[in-house]
Amino acid sequence: MTLARTASAERRPLALRWAPYLLISPTVVLIAVFLVYPIGSVLYYSLQHYNLTRPWANGFAGLDNFREMLFEDPLFWSSLGFTAQWVLVEIVLQLVLGLALALIVNESFIGRGLARSLVFSPWAVSGVLTTSIWILLYNPTTGIVRYLGAPEAAVLGNPDTVFGALVITELWRGVPFFAILLLAGLAGIPGELYEAAAVDGAGRVRRFLHVTLPHLRDAIVLATLLRSVWEFNNVDLIYTLTGGGPAQATTTLPLYVAQRAIDSKDFGYGSALTTAGFLILLFCSLLYLRLSRFGADHKG
Amino acid sequence: MRRITKVCSAAVAALALCVTAAACGSDSGGGGGGGEGSGATTITFWDNNGGVRTPIYQELIKRFEAANPTIKVEYVGIPIASVQQKYDTAIAGGETPDVGGVTTSYLANLTGQQALEPADAWLAGSAVNGKVLDSMLASVKQATPDGKLYMVPATSNLDVVWYQKDKLAEAGVEAPETWDEFFTAVGKLTKTPDQYGWTIRGGAGSIFQLLAEAYAYSGVTEFFDASGKSTVNDPANAELVGKIAALYKKATPEADVTNDFPKMVAQFTSGKVAMMHHNLGSYNDHVKAFGAEKIDAYPLPVGASGKRTIVANPVDGFGVFKNSEHKEAAWKFVEFLVSKENNSYWNQQTGQIPANKDAQQDAWIDERPYLKSAVEVLADPATVVVSPPYHLPQFSSITKADTEPLFQKVLLGQMKPQEFLDTMGQMLTEAQAEWKKSHSN
Amino acid sequence: MATEVIVRDRPRTAAGTPPGARKDPRKDRGRVLRLYVPLGLYLVFTLVPFYWMIVFALRPTGSTAPVPWPITFEHFDTVWNDIGYAVFFKNSVIVGVLSLFFTTGIALMGGYALARFRFRGRTVFLVVLLCTQFIPGAMMLIPLFTIFKGLGLINSLWSLVIAGTVFNLPLSIILMSGFVSSVPFQVEEAAMVDGCTRGRAFLAVVLPQLRPGLVAVGSFAFIDTWNTFLFALMFISRQDNFTIPVGLSYTIGEYSADFGALAAGGVIAAVPVVLVFAVIQRYLVHGLSAGAVKG
Repeated sequence: MTLARTASAERRPLALRWAPYLLISPTVVLIAVFLVYPIGSVLYYSLQHYNLTRPWANGFAGLDNFREMLFEDPLFWSSLGFTAQWVLVEIVLQLVLGLALALIVNESFIGRGLARSLVFSPWAVSGVLTTSIWILLYNPTTGIVRYLGAPEAAVLGNPDTVFGALVITELWRGVPFFAILLLAGLAGIPGELYEAAAVDGAGRVRRFLHVTLPHLRDAIVLATLLRSVWEFNNVDLIYTLTGGGPAQATTTLPLYVAQRAIDSKDFGYGSALTTAGFLILLFCSLLYLRLSRFGADHKG
Repeated sequence: MRRITKVCSAAVAALALCVTAAACGSDSGGGGGGGEGSGATTITFWDNNGGVRTPIYQELIKRFEAANPTIKVEYVGIPIASVQQKYDTAIAGGETPDVGGVTTSYLANLTGQQALEPADAWLAGSAVNGKVLDSMLASVKQATPDGKLYMVPATSNLDVVWYQKDKLAEAGVEAPETWDEFFTAVGKLTKTPDQYGWTIRGGAGSIFQLLAEAYAYSGVTEFFDASGKSTVNDPANAELVGKIAALYKKATPEADVTNDFPKMVAQFTSGKVAMMHHNLGSYNDHVKAFGAEKIDAYPLPVGASGKRTIVANPVDGFGVFKNSEHKEAAWKFVEFLVSKENNSYWNQQTGQIPANKDAQQDAWIDERPYLKSAVEVLADPATVVVSPPYHLPQFSSITKADTEPLFQKVLLGQMKPQEFLDTMGQMLTEAQAEWKKSHSN
Repeated sequence: MATEVIVRDRPRTAAGTPPGARKDPRKDRGRVLRLYVPLGLYLVFTLVPFYWMIVFALRPTGSTAPVPWPITFEHFDTVWNDIGYAVFFKNSVIVGVLSLFFTTGIALMGGYALARFRFRGRTVFLVVLLCTQFIPGAMMLIPLFTIFKGLGLINSLWSLVIAGTVFNLPLSIILMSGFVSSVPFQVEEAAMVDGCTRGRAFLAVVLPQLRPGLVAVGSFAFIDTWNTFLFALMFISRQDNFTIPVGLSYTIGEYSADFGALAAGGVIAAVPVVLVFAVIQRYLVHGLSAGAVKG
């Protein structure tokens, strides 16, 4: 309430006390109506045997699904490990490249508007399309690799190269997200700060480290967190490019969920896997926010 | 400040415009279910392979509505990759169509959820009674526990090997009859890295094609032996899987390991692959890429038994949904679709074999040699037909999510063919036993 | 914009370069290495896939040429006329624009509340927002279907607008709160001291500075809804109400691998969005200059 008090609590304290609730009420209503029941139902079904292909065996399962998942399902652990690797690599690269890109297109040069539009454009392309384009690009017979002097390289079929190929495709689509967000964040940095830093004789690197980066910190924390969650749950790209293969080498946890819950119609077990993902993400997010001391020194 | 106001008002105006547009859109749609008014009935039809086949159905619906002015058919095209999920969601939500395209590979799932109306009584009294191929009717009935007819077959399919005529002529190779000839031909057609003799489907949909090849090779006649044990891990089947896996990267592109249908066809139509295993249904893709005169197909080769053995393809047809409020109109539409003229039209367009006996006599079939030979293979009493257990609701998941990654392991040399088939066999045996137990009373 | 760049370039000038030497080769080389080389490389990375899509869209089926020659428009004809893109396109625009406005508007309110007030339940609200992101939409499909059916919205584009808004909202609010809190509160306070009400102060002072944030959040919401496939296919069972992603999925399936049509559909889907983005991208920067001066 500190902010509100300093603002004008003396004028209309009651209205102000209700103001935030009024402002978040549409969101709360939408979440309550559209998300509480679906999320609850996933948690509920994680405790059930619910398999469309074996209707005779449906019923309360207790913790059976979780027991199977933790102790009898090596694919759960391997998919979890792959997911962690995937999220980490993607987020670090997307952040670094996105930040670099934002800084570049924030400079003034001839053709900047055009350059910006072009580098952001992959963001506008849908998941179905992104994967289709890249399938064609990667395939040795239809793709572009054959013009790069590697006529036989089947990057998606080779366990050694498939990870890199997936990472590049997702970067193509994901870097603009960071670039857009950080560019918008850069716009909020007052020019005087740079001026002051320049007067102090700070070089480009020091200005970046002492002015730009601290100012973008909250934006970076938020963007990495939200994007990590998004990449964690991102199924479409890997599903269409490799289907989790070759030989399960690129199966992420949500992809495994899709295979179990949708392809194999074992919704109970799929819900248990989802619940596990939910708890992992919750734990990691809270930890991340705590460690990054997000909002700790909120400016007033 | 003025600028903001301008932006805001523009935004509001745009918003209002869109809302109106959207509202109008849904208003006019609101009458979809029963928009009678003039006494017309509207039925909804879901095409289970929307897209390329949309124009075919649009033509047929036009004909149907002209013949039945009181019935309007609303066409909805469902992309084939998502059709099972669409049906599952619609059934769970109670929003099923009146008529839907259905395939025996997921028929058991639909009947397991009590979604479909049996067609037996209707067929007995309909104009197409006795016109639909009996073998296909039998195959549909086999797929459900109560032996009723839950869908009306419309088309028959067969596994074939598509090939580029000039590539074979160039290499001096005839379309192979036996598996030995086949492997020799693949060797002769391979000139890496410019040309490959063969392509393996290693991604989505791999298992069905592999099983079709394995049974054609081994000549094993049943999917389960008398004791209810699956025959997929028969040593002769494993031998074939081993031989195919040995072609990988030598006579086939390396990318094959994750190839699903679109990727496989993309490779084939780029001209780099001489022969490709799929079924009759991909005819149009090949004609588009090569031209009808440059492309041909032969049935899967014959194994050491000397008997042509084929794995029955899933039967594609039409089902009427239980929740339909216009069943009479729905059946009328189904009857129209499988009647001679329309069934013939549909199959001619897609390049498959009509389920209607009369339509099979049409001249266009004779004009396509590959199709004619396919019809002969299917009609030949000497052909051994192996029926996959479509009645097992898990069959589709066992042959997809559960075992596709294992075949990739075989291709990559991480698993032995026999071990792979043993695993699949065990799943099938268990599923069959469990199904028998739950349906014994 | 100009000030910023000049400020950035000043230290180098101070370090000994004669003033006004814009053509100094050393400096130019630095700029080339710093800006043009990485930008050029990145542009290649970005544009090659687009180029490949255009090649597939414009060359005849079966051609393997690396350039779209001879040019054909048959694929565009197929998707626009046979597959029905004309209708899908209109629907995608409606759904995308509506959910853009709803998401941005509601996110602005929620983001402002999170950034400017320390109210009871704030942390809980934040965690709930995050939690909604933790479960893939596919797992919530059937309950959502039931809810929309209960509201009579199955087969209506409204189901997609609402789903788009609901699923984009948490992310948008969190991002928006970041943008709001980067606007110094003193600016707002100063306006209130001048006699503005809090609402007026917000509109006059804060909103203009939020423009980059609004553009970013709005474009995220639009693109996400524009590209939604699963919900569009599952909540809609009317051919006239399908959207572009459903149309795209028509071209690739078990009995058709028409990459030409897919690419042509892709061009149709991507070009307008890229163009609109080209127009609005300039609002992503320098929201400050206009707002701060007038405020």
